Amino acid sequence: MKKLQVSMLACVLSVTAVLAGCGSSKEAAGTNTQSGGSTAPQGQTASAGKPVEIDFWYALGGKNGEYIEKMVKDFNASHKDIVVKPAYQGSYYENHSKVLASVSAGNQPDVTMVEVGSIGAFADAKVLEDLGPYANGAEKKYIPGLLGNSYWKDKLYAIPFNRSTPLLYLNRDMLKAAGLDPNGPKTWEELRQFSQAMTKKEGDKTATYGFSTPIDIWFYEALVFQSGGKILTDDNKELAINTEAGKAPLEFWTGMLKEGVMKAPPGEKYNAWDVAKQDFLNQQVGMIFTSTGDLRSLKENAKFDLGTAFLPANKNFGAPTGGANLVMLAKSSDEEKKASWEFMQWMTDTKQTIPFSLESGYMPVTTEAVESEDMKKAYEKEPNFQVAVKQLEYASPRPMVPGYKELQEVIMTEIQRAVLGQASVDEAIQKATEKGQKLLKK
Amino acid sequence: MHKAVAAPELSGTSNQAAEVPIDWMERLRPYLYVAPAMLFFALFFFFPIGYVIYLSFFDWSLLNLEEMEWVGLGNFTALMAEEDFWQVLGNTLIYTVVTVGLGILLSFMLALWLNRKAKVYGIVQAAVFSPHIVSLVSIAMLWMWLMDPQYGLLNAILEMVGLPGYSWLSDTKSAMVSLILVSIWKGVGYNTLVFIAGMQSIPKDIYEAADLDHSPWWRTLTRITIPMLSPTMFFLLVINTVSSFQVFDTIYIMTQGGPVNSTNMLVFYIYEQGMDFYNGGAASAASVILLAMVGFLTWLHFRLMEKRVHYR
Repeated sequence: MKKLQVSMLACVLSVTAVLAGCGSSKEAAGTNTQSGGSTAPQGQTASAGKPVEIDFWYALGGKNGEYIEKMVKDFNASHKDIVVKPAYQGSYYENHSKVLASVSAGNQPDVTMVEVGSIGAFADAKVLEDLGPYANGAEKKYIPGLLGNSYWKDKLYAIPFNRSTPLLYLNRDMLKAAGLDPNGPKTWEELRQFSQAMTKKEGDKTATYGFSTPIDIWFYEALVFQSGGKILTDDNKELAINTEAGKAPLEFWTGMLKEGVMKAPPGEKYNAWDVAKQDFLNQQVGMIFTSTGDLRSLKENAKFDLGTAFLPANKNFGAPTGGANLVMLAKSSDEEKKASWEFMQWMTDTKQTIPFSLESGYMPVTTEAVESEDMKKAYEKEPNFQVAVKQLEYASPRPMVPGYKELQEVIMTEIQRAVLGQASVDEAIQKATEKGQKLLKK
Repeated sequence: MHKAVAAPELSGTSNQAAEVPIDWMERLRPYLYVAPAMLFFALFFFFPIGYVIYLSFFDWSLLNLEEMEWVGLGNFTALMAEEDFWQVLGNTLIYTVVTVGLGILLSFMLALWLNRKAKVYGIVQAAVFSPHIVSLVSIAMLWMWLMDPQYGLLNAILEMVGLPGYSWLSDTKSAMVSLILVSIWKGVGYNTLVFIAGMQSIPKDIYEAADLDHSPWWRTLTRITIPMLSPTMFFLLVINTVSSFQVFDTIYIMTQGGPVNSTNMLVFYIYEQGMDFYNGGAASAASVILLAMVGFLTWLHFRLMEKRVHYR
């Protein structure tokens, strides 16, 4: 009965692919072979020498997505026994929903990307395969600072793939024109002074702003870390933002907004990021916060001397890491898992991560890559690409309790209230804490 | 018509039931004809409705479907205790009332103006109707660009005529107005077309009689056009209410329910709870509430309009 309920639910959930979903869910319930598209029964696959097919769902569009497709093609060309079928599934969170729906329908991918803050939720739900037995210590090749979001309850569930960290992007031409240090501000106070110097008014309208950032949880996390605080207590049971360190970022932002030297880009979520980047490229703001992952495309489209720098420090430097990790799904067959591991390792290996990093701006994920001659040469030519890796020294993992996605929306909504001037900083943080605690208790 | 034919037949069969063998095929045939449609309905309509009601009594997450816990009405009481949910309901109600009210009023006035025979009216009618055939997603993206506070066309026009720019989607107060504007713009063409069709089916002789009596235009409007259009108006009221209640695309593309939940409405809330936060229980319960509200509103329309609607 239970099984029937689950598979019925699975059908309902996979409305988007109703027929396919129900079809394979029946197959899954009946024969217990959850296949991601391979047609032959497992036993025969190997003996017949047919390649193993695995599905890989990714969540990067545009140029980065094209590059991933190219990487997969290279992998398939060099591995005769494995065929990887890549599929773009929209943004990180769209991909998450689709993966979960497909897991319940039994037609899930074998490898996919999961945003680092959500690894906890997926691992806790037993959707992911424990990678420990496959890795056998091989995980040591990855940069330790990038593995923070790979473990859940001391087990390895994820391999760093497209990893980022927020950076301060600078329009060096504008900085120089204002007589400022082209290497950018080092502290919050300097960021404020630089913004004041770069903001230009025409009548009662502001022609250029010194600074702009999407009011996003990621940057809030960064500023809390910089103030010596954290989002959650170490046992993950309490929200820890009702403190000096939790309020400082909001006071800093609202102060600069009131002064009129910072712009809060309009739009919700990723819309606001697009506005910030567009303003920066149009030279209407001089400095923005955004991800390392934007480096390549911003660099190509900027008609000015573009620089990157650490996020300025309050008490100390600090930043969350971000981006996504590669994970393997627990429901795949053993054979698919073996092939998946091969693929995950290959995708994140030094040979692949160097060009991927240089193509996109995401960080290389292995220590060997960072120290390689290729990377050093590239960094010499493009010092901007090295800033993120250097900042890793001060970076922390993102919080990852299972309900963090909802928690971050709650915090963001309250932060927005303060930024729009509908609540004081204290009120906003108070409200976020109350609502957040309720969620954490659930 | 139907009854008149069916009645004698029925009485006939009951009288001679013993002698005439029952033609089973003949009896089954109508059911066979409707079977495909019924099957479709059952599969994609009744089953999901029943199932979502069933699911709303459980605490479950998309993350872990093996662990579904029976909580009775727990999901509903939790929603009722949620301040945000009440805001979502309020937003949905405001949006629906304003969109439907203004939308119908505007399209009625447009229909009055466009209901004549000249090429130019046909062109205007086509222009007004055109948004209806464009996908709502494209429309949402287009308007987002128009409404950009900095680079958008709307603010550029406002500034050209010396007015201050409007905040459109970026402020809690104006975001709802902006969404309503888009949905009216999208829907007005279809409503107008239906109104015009309704107006053209009103018999001309009634108007001729009114003309002979020198009835002033407003009396002709209130005593003839509006009463004769009441079935049309009723139809539009019902479908517009139901579709406004289910607004999703524009919210998803343009505001994501923000700023600060000011445009978060029921269907988006359900999506967010279910697909983003994996709270299956809350999402199912909210779906049941949506179903109940839409059902109730439709029923209410029928009850209220029964007396007022004038069918010929």
